[in-house]
Amino acid sequence: MDRTKAILFFVLVFLLVVLAFIFFKNSGSERIKKPGEIPQPAVSTQAPIEKSTRKVTLFFLREEDSRLVPEERNIVSDPSTVREAEEVIAELIRGSQTGLVSSLPAETKLVQLFITKEGVAYVDFSKDLVDKHPSGSAAEISTVYSIVNSLAYNLKPIKKVFILIEGEERETLGGHISLDHPFLPDYSLIVKE
Amino acid sequence: MNMPKRTVKVLCGPGLVLLALVLALSAAGASGSKELKTIVIDPGHGGMDLGAKGKFGTLEKNITLAVSFKLKALIEQNLPYRVVLTRDKDIDVSMENRSAIANNNDAVLFISVHINGSQRKKAQGSETFFMNLNASDEETRKLAYMENTSAELEKQIEDKNKDEVKMILWDMAQSAYIKQSSQLAEEIQKELNIFLGTENRGIKQAPFKVLKGVACPAILVEVAFISNPEEEQKLIKDDFQRKVAEAIYQGLKKYTKLFS
Repeated sequence: MDRTKAILFFVLVFLLVVLAFIFFKNSGSERIKKPGEIPQPAVSTQAPIEKSTRKVTLFFLREEDSRLVPEERNIVSDPSTVREAEEVIAELIRGSQTGLVSSLPAETKLVQLFITKEGVAYVDFSKDLVDKHPSGSAAEISTVYSIVNSLAYNLKPIKKVFILIEGEERETLGGHISLDHPFLPDYSLIVKE
Repeated sequence: MNMPKRTVKVLCGPGLVLLALVLALSAAGASGSKELKTIVIDPGHGGMDLGAKGKFGTLEKNITLAVSFKLKALIEQNLPYRVVLTRDKDIDVSMENRSAIANNNDAVLFISVHINGSQRKKAQGSETFFMNLNASDEETRKLAYMENTSAELEKQIEDKNKDEVKMILWDMAQSAYIKQSSQLAEEIQKELNIFLGTENRGIKQAPFKVLKGVACPAILVEVAFISNPEEEQKLIKDDFQRKVAEAIYQGLKKYTKLFS
């Protein structure tokens, strides 16, 4: 009796140990696998940078003429197009680092951004984009196309851009350019070097 | 021939009604003005909508109104047209109402007067815009079809259905007049360059809310930059405003000669 009880006890303990070993081994390997799943660029091997970056081209204005001027910038690369699009907009609002003129009021905030299956990016801005806007056709065209071109140029999934203000469709920014439709990028506005 | 009497009667009935309608309509038209065609001038902004602002406090809405008054006088004194302004005082007028005023008056030309503004302090010069829908592929196909067939369509559609069709096309009304609008823009831009001596920014296309629904050739002039202090100083001068009106007037005069 006692012997059979003892054998049963040992078998149970053994099973528990085996199960525990399998459980911890798996969860442990998952922890190791996770960072490996994110595509690491070659840079990560030489520098201990935690987040990889990618180069993007933003479009600003310059005093000489009314063309859009490219300025390169690094953003944190992300498998999500939405994340990268948010970063592009944040950098646009931050303004130029080389003395170019910004086409978005500095007070502007990005409220939300989403991209449809058809590749239309809906970019929702705070009301500052309207209230702090200088008005004028030239000013509105600059604002619209620095947003649209900066997104579509860097992010392939984005084909068109719809500008929203505080979650709603707005007639215009300041009485000129109609915002009731998504915009295709217009690269003819970019300076030709 | 041996047309039965009943058919004659049936044909005469609607004919008489139509004749009466035409007479009534022409009488109504004549009572206002002697069948003068209408040009609608749209002074940009107004009321709460100040438009662009200058460093010295000049407001776009005031300059556009002053220029529009001068332009109206020039046209009515020298050309056989009636001029309707979308506003003749400092009030808010919605974008829809501006184009509706043009369409309800059967306008033959629509001219929106604006003063430009930019984030760039040095931005200067004058430019003339006409409509661009920045349309998707599908929309482009529709528009190309409309552009090519709008004249044909006019002929084919029965008169009684015309209003209905017009309503459907209302939102994209301008798309049928893109070619004429570009010509009008070209003529006016030439004169702005001559009369004002401002930098020539050329003619351009952009999706202007106010032009979209206008069912006749329509353009939007952006005269000089109120955001540029030098140009702001010019814009407040009566003499400069007179030249702006004169330039637009000469341009539209040349355009109307092309089509008469």
